[in-house]
Amino acid sequence: MLQAAPAGAPSFSATLIAPAGWGYDPPGAEGLAALASRLSVQSTDRHPRKELARLLDRYSATLTSHTDPESAEVTVWGPQDAWEPLLELLADAILRPAFAEAEVARVRQQLRERQLREAAQPDLRSRRELLGDLFPRGHPYRSTGLGRASSLRRLTRDAVRRFHRDHFLSRSSAIVVTSSVPPPAVRRRVDRILSDGSLRAPPADPPLPERPASSPDRRDIVIAGQSQVEVRVGGPSVPRSDARYLPLLLANEVLGGRPLLSRLFQGIRERMGLAYHASSELEAMRWGGYWQARAGTHPSSRDRVANALRAEVRRLSDESIPSSELGRIRESLLASMPLALETTADVHELAAEVAYYRLPTDYYLTWPERLRAVRPREIRDAAAAAWSPARMRTVTVGPAPARG
Amino acid sequence: MPSASRAAGRVSTFRLANGLSVILALRPASPTTSVWVWYRVGSVNEHPGITGVSHWMEHMMFQGTRQFRKGEIDRAIFEVGGTSNAFTDTDFTAYFATVPRERVDVPLRIEADRMLDARVDPTEAERERQVVLSEREGNENRAEFRVEEELLSLAYRRHPYRWDPLGYAEDMRSMPTSALGDYYRRFYGPRNAILTVAGGFDPPTLRRAIVRRFGGLRATGENPIVGDREPEPSGPRRAELTGPGSTPLLSFAWPAPPIRDARAPAAMMLDLLLGGETGLFSPRPFGGRSGEHPASRLYRALVEPGLAVRASSEYRPRLYPGLFDIQAQAAPGIPLDRLEEAILREVERIGRNGPTRAELSTARAMLARSAALAYEGSSAAAFRLGWFAAYGSLALEGKLRRALVRLRPDDVRSEARRLFRRERSVCVRYEPEGGGHGG
Repeated sequence: MLQAAPAGAPSFSATLIAPAGWGYDPPGAEGLAALASRLSVQSTDRHPRKELARLLDRYSATLTSHTDPESAEVTVWGPQDAWEPLLELLADAILRPAFAEAEVARVRQQLRERQLREAAQPDLRSRRELLGDLFPRGHPYRSTGLGRASSLRRLTRDAVRRFHRDHFLSRSSAIVVTSSVPPPAVRRRVDRILSDGSLRAPPADPPLPERPASSPDRRDIVIAGQSQVEVRVGGPSVPRSDARYLPLLLANEVLGGRPLLSRLFQGIRERMGLAYHASSELEAMRWGGYWQARAGTHPSSRDRVANALRAEVRRLSDESIPSSELGRIRESLLASMPLALETTADVHELAAEVAYYRLPTDYYLTWPERLRAVRPREIRDAAAAAWSPARMRTVTVGPAPARG
Repeated sequence: MPSASRAAGRVSTFRLANGLSVILALRPASPTTSVWVWYRVGSVNEHPGITGVSHWMEHMMFQGTRQFRKGEIDRAIFEVGGTSNAFTDTDFTAYFATVPRERVDVPLRIEADRMLDARVDPTEAERERQVVLSEREGNENRAEFRVEEELLSLAYRRHPYRWDPLGYAEDMRSMPTSALGDYYRRFYGPRNAILTVAGGFDPPTLRRAIVRRFGGLRATGENPIVGDREPEPSGPRRAELTGPGSTPLLSFAWPAPPIRDARAPAAMMLDLLLGGETGLFSPRPFGGRSGEHPASRLYRALVEPGLAVRASSEYRPRLYPGLFDIQAQAAPGIPLDRLEEAILREVERIGRNGPTRAELSTARAMLARSAALAYEGSSAAAFRLGWFAAYGSLALEGKLRRALVRLRPDDVRSEARRLFRRERSVCVRYEPEGGGHGG
């Protein structure tokens, strides 16, 4: 997919999106997808580690990777006038990663440190624990992709190579390029540099166990020595392709997604003064999704904040959002589109979303019309059905409450 | 190498009779306009007892003014599709809003009104005190913040840089709300402020709007010189901390020159060579680290051989003498002693041999490229212009860049020798303990 950069933008960006998320980790090899995507940007057969790093530095460019449950992304970003060599570097990372033994060991250590950090830091730990409570064993969304100490130890260079070959070079992978170069020139270049990669059949999607997770409504996890409790509430939600996606997107904006205007921010921070951050997120992906609301608070306010978060979520199913409130949030969201198109990186992010979810190319042109057509009643019905309070779970992580 | 103003847009400046400095950067194709107000006041203007007041005041600036009741400031910006925020640093406090270009008058009205007429209602201030404390507690959940606080308190004995802009928790709990009003009336005002606007606008219309909104404000706002001089350290200083965390963490710091000192460019170059980038000239629009830098010296000395999972340096340019620090997170199973030795070996090496010509050549190429990238988008452009202006003048960026590219290996080597002296070093070691358990 070729996307025009904003007029006069000095930067260029290109991304490979591949079916290589951690949902494809084989049993017992959890962490493999994260390891493979990180390793793909370390060095290539043409450019050893140090040389690749120096090249990127000279261009003031970056070559990075990102993994989620469904996909992996490898992105090059840098100056527009260096788009050709940068595209070559991206192609090298995709087609010819070196996966040197020493790099496998080093990145494995980095992932191990991330695992330990995730266990010790309340914001990260609460996310991991909540997902574990929302999704049954074997579900790709249950994990944060880092694996366990034992699974990381088992990952070998050969396993990484195989995973990369089967998942990155797939016929369902997509390339997104955002640039001010005329599209035919980019197209020719992309065709040429990627022509020597033989593409594989797309991998089969992993199984998605449907059995609801059997977990308690609420768990309190103590990490001694911390200052603040992270309270997180969440539940499963619908995939991006579901007809209820847009109503739920608006529900999330009203709940805690729209900065400063949302109910959680206004209630928990501005009225109650109980937290610095109070927000919500909606993850709607290809295979499914989930929502979560969170706030960080003093241990003595743990219960109040947990109750306030849950009450605000329930309110979305119990009452229709007043038209004035919905109108304000919706128009704010629509009016913010120019800000989402400021830089090449901004535009590129939207283009990547369109490519991954196979949305029509005029998706964001028709978005205002579709968003304005959503009625308060649809939002309430969608929230009641998809965000059922019966499936809502709460996790709190942080220091124990002080004994009085 | 493109000049800063060329990368920012068509830059013009003027000053109102009440002392307000105005910087405009026209970017005709931009769909947005970003409005920033920088006050030359920050935690450096505080003293024990009122540490954290600058940051608390920053929060109160969103709680209402003469024209905007509580909640209306946020609503006004977000309803037009804009975004707004603020931050407090040691030397300045900045407020910004980026809006669709046709709505630039909304942030201008807000900024003009809260420059002198912010409401500091005691009840609201008490509630916001809890929010500020909550922000601090959230930071305390990260080992990096704890190490940073300890590092500052060890590195400085007298200077107000010894506390973080979040202030001491004890001061934040006990300070009377009246401190806010006193502080606000003293430091906030057009004489002590810089307004930067970047993006799409009609210059004559914007200029008229600025004069109309800000021109009638009283000429207030002090910018005092902070006279506390830090005594020369008499030997290395060290501290050991324990707490929740992943793997051991190590932070070193050395006293470093202020931003307008002739030594500053060499310190920046050391930052670039050791850590891979230097904040003021990072290619990323808002400064900060853009990821790993495998060609940097610290990466090669610490991460590549498996001693650390990450390693970075930071030269913090400040109005007054700041710090140059190096931080590394140990790889699992690696003791801090090995990390400490490796860091000291590396800084001694660059002091002994200096950088290679190839390293300097890569650094120069990087600086040349980053000039344009760092100004992408109206928010980033207004931010960078205001930042350099708050540190002295718009010309500062060009001056520093020119000095950076002129540096020879010997200049960098002699700065390294002067900077990284063991007797002036500060070291904080953090050992994780415990971890979580299910309840």
